Amino acid sequence: MTDTVATPVGPSAPARPFRQFVDRVRLRRSSTGVSDAGWGRTLVAAIVSIIYFFPVFWIILTSFKTYEDALAVPAKFFFTPTLENFVHVFNRAYSAGGPVQNTGFALYFFNSLFISGVSVLLALAIGTVAAFGFSRYPLRGNDTYLFIILTTRMLPAIVVIIPIFIMFRVTGLAGTYAGIIALYTMFNLPFAIWMMKSFFDELALDVEDAARIDGSSDVRVFFKICLPQVLAGLAATTVFGLILTWNEFLFALLLSGVETRTVPVAMSQTIGGDIGVRWGLLAAIETLFLIPVIIVTFALQNQLLRGVTFGTIKR
Amino acid sequence: MSTIELRGVTKHFGAFTAVRDLSLSVSAGEVVCLLGPSGCGKTTTLRVVAGLERASAGDVLIAGKRMNDWRPDQRNIAMVFQFYALYPALTVRENIMFPLHVERLEPQTAAGRVAKVARLLQLESVLDRLPSHISEGEKQRVAVARAVVRDPNCFLFDEPLSRLDVELRQTMRSEIKTVLRGLSKATVIVTHDQLEALTMADRIAIMRDGVIEQIASAHEVFAKPATVFVASFIGIPQMNLLHAQFEGVENGHGRFRIDGQPTRLPVDPAVAKLAKGQVTIGIRPRALVLDGAASADAIAGRAELIEPMGAETLVHARTPLGSDIRVVVPREIRVNAGDTLRLRTEARETHVFDHSGRAVRT
Amino acid sequence: MTTATEVPATAPVLQRLIAPRWDNWPGALAVFIIGTALAISFLAPKVSFWVSAALAVLFAATVVVNAWGRYTGGLLVAPALALLFVMNVFPLLWSFGLSFFNYRANRARAPTWVGLDNYANVLSDPEVWDRLHNTIILVIMTVTAQMVVGFLLALLFAKQFPLRRFLLILVLTPMMLSFVAVGAFFRYYYDPTFGLLSQAVRLFTGHPFILMNTVWGSRIGIVFADAWMWSPFVMLLVLAGLVSVPKYLYEAAAIDRVSHWRQFWSITFPYIRGLMLLALLFRTIEAFKLFDLVFLLTNGGPGTATETIALRVYRVAFENNKTSESTALAYILLFTVIVLTNLYLYFATRRAKEAAPA
Repeated sequence: MTDTVATPVGPSAPARPFRQFVDRVRLRRSSTGVSDAGWGRTLVAAIVSIIYFFPVFWIILTSFKTYEDALAVPAKFFFTPTLENFVHVFNRAYSAGGPVQNTGFALYFFNSLFISGVSVLLALAIGTVAAFGFSRYPLRGNDTYLFIILTTRMLPAIVVIIPIFIMFRVTGLAGTYAGIIALYTMFNLPFAIWMMKSFFDELALDVEDAARIDGSSDVRVFFKICLPQVLAGLAATTVFGLILTWNEFLFALLLSGVETRTVPVAMSQTIGGDIGVRWGLLAAIETLFLIPVIIVTFALQNQLLRGVTFGTIKR
Repeated sequence: MSTIELRGVTKHFGAFTAVRDLSLSVSAGEVVCLLGPSGCGKTTTLRVVAGLERASAGDVLIAGKRMNDWRPDQRNIAMVFQFYALYPALTVRENIMFPLHVERLEPQTAAGRVAKVARLLQLESVLDRLPSHISEGEKQRVAVARAVVRDPNCFLFDEPLSRLDVELRQTMRSEIKTVLRGLSKATVIVTHDQLEALTMADRIAIMRDGVIEQIASAHEVFAKPATVFVASFIGIPQMNLLHAQFEGVENGHGRFRIDGQPTRLPVDPAVAKLAKGQVTIGIRPRALVLDGAASADAIAGRAELIEPMGAETLVHARTPLGSDIRVVVPREIRVNAGDTLRLRTEARETHVFDHSGRAVRT
Repeated sequence: MTTATEVPATAPVLQRLIAPRWDNWPGALAVFIIGTALAISFLAPKVSFWVSAALAVLFAATVVVNAWGRYTGGLLVAPALALLFVMNVFPLLWSFGLSFFNYRANRARAPTWVGLDNYANVLSDPEVWDRLHNTIILVIMTVTAQMVVGFLLALLFAKQFPLRRFLLILVLTPMMLSFVAVGAFFRYYYDPTFGLLSQAVRLFTGHPFILMNTVWGSRIGIVFADAWMWSPFVMLLVLAGLVSVPKYLYEAAAIDRVSHWRQFWSITFPYIRGLMLLALLFRTIEAFKLFDLVFLLTNGGPGTATETIALRVYRVAFENNKTSESTALAYILLFTVIVLTNLYLYFATRRAKEAAPA
């Protein structure tokens, strides 16, 4: 129908310029989500957050201090910063007066990055596929499987440490990348499966059916339609998995070799060094070690919060 | 006195003005409907009355007191939300009783009130169920019950029937109307459905872009729309709106050029005072009468699409130069696609709107 | 083994069990269990391990064959289940079996069957009960602290305010720290001479403050560090719940003139109840496993006051090399955890049957 003078209005009105404003306003007044508070709350939150963050802050601060400054009494807030600790992370003398040698920390950082990264990605890949299977093609024993998977997450590591230790030694996996990556992947799997399944359960099936009718194969449907909708779950799994494996100590202590040592293990050995605890050095290591995790978390922050919401509220 | 009064209320959201210098007066027992398309500011107005939004300018008076600075819980109002807002963890009974806690009634009295309201809205069978276990219609009634169990200054309804299916809507419309009639409180209902507004309200305020274009009784907005917008918004099927050139009045008939064709149509006497120029002519589909004879007093059109509607038939026609005309004829009259139609009308059914969209009438 | 011969489903169970077919996974499972038991009893550990592994692979193969085509889902799920089985279930079962023998990792001879002796020894060992006592105290203290602090933090962050994203990251960083760093640095903070805590106290009392040399002091020290690290986790969960409450419920409550206290209990709490229970469960499990922090902060000290069960398992296994005994102890711990999990699931499903906010 061609329009006459006035644009017909009513329930099917065409979009007008200010409607976008309204939609934006409406978004701000969304039915769930956070309501607004003002700068007053910012002040309170800032005080609390800063106090909470203080021990971390002190570590970062200490990484810029000399050995004497770190141990100073009363504690020094103001001092001349130095980068020597950061240098020492990678090259230092192991004993007083001894030769300066490469500490191998570059390798340890790489190991941590590599091992954590690969295991998280593997867990994501295997876990998401498995979660998709659990969600879309329920097996007869579905609930049992899921329960068992959940409980493996909840089991004390201590319980499996011994047989795994023996198993690794016997199969020659001890000290290899493959072994510890496989183990860490296993650590992350239950969480990945459980979280991704919740997400997959939430998806509307019509879109997938429409795609299938249009000729997409199951694989295409999975990658082009299902995955983009569950990004929040992927983000949550990534962050939590990364935090878990990044800082893992016990298994790394027992199962990594000299070449595959991760930073936490190397850190613990630094403590037991013969110069006593070099706080500045330790702080520098930890500060450097903290950076990748913070970057990832910050980047995935929005998705993360959404992911935690969905993954845990659904029963 | 249960009244609501808004004086020159304006509401900004940042750079965007949702409500513009709006004045409205609702007296005790009166039901006023805020009707309009999405984004016209009706819900914002309601929320300003409720205290959920703060007016940027103007006065909000409830029961005669200026309540701009008062919080919602201080205003003693009752509101039925679009999403019902039933407390999911409480049973229906507890939901209805919730607003009574602050009144510190005797348990007997409170229970009595709840029972009375439940009887009124036929909720007795679901009193002990949870909101997730009752039907949509029942949820709606619980929301109304929760509002009605109190003795507030006024009632506010935000799109109360929008989530019900058609049948349920009809039932609830009459139920709500009955309930409200017994309560003599000022009531404001927000809706985008004109049928709801026409049936439930004493007065309808049609809003667009944050202003009220017309506020009048149902009959008046239908028969005497004040602007083109109101005319096109009210009435199903939609009113026909035709561009025309106005060339003067003679013998009670206005001379127009519709699509270049000179046409004479009977008009309201006030049109005589209108200056020549662009106008919009509005004629409702049911006001057009098929005429056999060709004359300059009729609008010509060619029937294109015939839609039988049961007791009537909707005919979509097109003028020689392409404007749409909709005509509703009784089913006895047979029209075929391709027929040439001559359409006559009466003076009081021919609405003339000047170039600014305002109706010209006495 | 054949695939062609169909064993009718109505055939007696035993016949179905021993049918030599590639998709006979119950049969393969039976072979695995029996074979492993025999292998452990009669062969040296190294050999028995490989035998058992081979049988496990056989079992896995039958499962895959059984699932192929019939269960697409099964195939999708298989890699995950396989990995979990190999790296988790299998070692678990193996060590469970091991706990019935007297295996010592540093001795070459084959272990001998001792039945429930290990368990009996462990359960009657007063030191074990003492460690359990320690662990429970620590668990109660740290979980309570985490729940309270986490909840309060969540309340704080439940509304949108300027700089919220940035401050949230600040509060999340303790979770991201390595245990080693936290352990070492908290030891530093607690140090009587140059630790920050002692210095702060000295401002008021003039004397250095020694936290870690008393039983309760070291407990508080551990709890403080652990709670500090993990309260943000509780916060995240509770925040997720708080954020999911529809705003219009609060608006309706405001209009209904409902007090803030009642609003919290009737509206907010039902939404976060499930999540808080979940946080409680996770953190309790983790608290029972408390090892890293204790190891680094106090190494069980002073004396053995803060030695947790997990730490003791470690000690017994790696320092005393009583592998089997430590396994028995670990399984007792596991049993406790399973009981807790089931308690939680019981409460959680019961709550789900009542109205959960949907």
